[in-house]
Amino acid sequence: MPTVRLRDESEYPERTRKLLEASKQWFDYEFPAAPAMSRVMGWDPHFGGPHGRAMRRAAMPGEFGRAEKEMVAAVVSGVNACEY
Amino acid sequence: MTGDARWYEAAFVVGITNALNVVADGLAPAGGGAPLLAPVEDSDPRDEVRALFADAREFYAGVVPLPLRVVAHDVGYAADLWAAVRRAFTDNTLARRFKEALAFAVSLTTRSEFGTAFHLGEMRRLGVGERGVMEVIGVTQMFSSYTKIADTLQLEPDMGEIAPVDPTPVPDFAP
Repeated sequence: MPTVRLRDESEYPERTRKLLEASKQWFDYEFPAAPAMSRVMGWDPHFGGPHGRAMRRAAMPGEFGRAEKEMVAAVVSGVNACEY
Repeated sequence: MTGDARWYEAAFVVGITNALNVVADGLAPAGGGAPLLAPVEDSDPRDEVRALFADAREFYAGVVPLPLRVVAHDVGYAADLWAAVRRAFTDNTLARRFKEALAFAVSLTTRSEFGTAFHLGEMRRLGVGERGVMEVIGVTQMFSSYTKIADTLQLEPDMGEIAPVDPTPVPDFAP
């Protein structure tokens, strides 16, 4: 059970809702609702914005492909024993 | 990265990387102090050790990894460990170059001095440039942030349905 109430997309300002929509496009998957982490980062766009940009910059295809980087992310999450 | 084979391979790389790092960092830590267990030297007279080290040198361009030397006191154990390491890091559905990137990410995340330096060296030897190194560092660092944010807020998984189920059987399975 999350320690905070995750706000519905409709509770975010318009500008943040666009960012939540962009997170669905990033994953190229039609989530029934924006992922919990996207909604968390949307709480403070002054933190979540640059954090997300840094993540996307690192995860863009480069010497390694996007899929390979998702696997690196999964491995790091596994090593950190993060269930999310 | 669809298909379970890639994920099994990645998991084996993660596991065996951690196994090597535990021994290297725990028993022969960097920093100049005396190792708790002396690594076996090239001059060891046992034929099994020479064969084992020769195979490791062939795989790692002349280097015998420190943790292999540490466990080579029991050469039977070391040979089996090495067979697993070699299998895990050999080109398969995942390329060796990428497996070294995974091992580097694991080592960096677990703060393994041995593993971070060793796998960074292997990535570079296998052709990963500074941009590629920074990409892996960036993903590792950002997901070291996301995971802690998620854990602090005790978020529940909500992206598990993205990956399709792989219906293929275990390799070499014959009904």
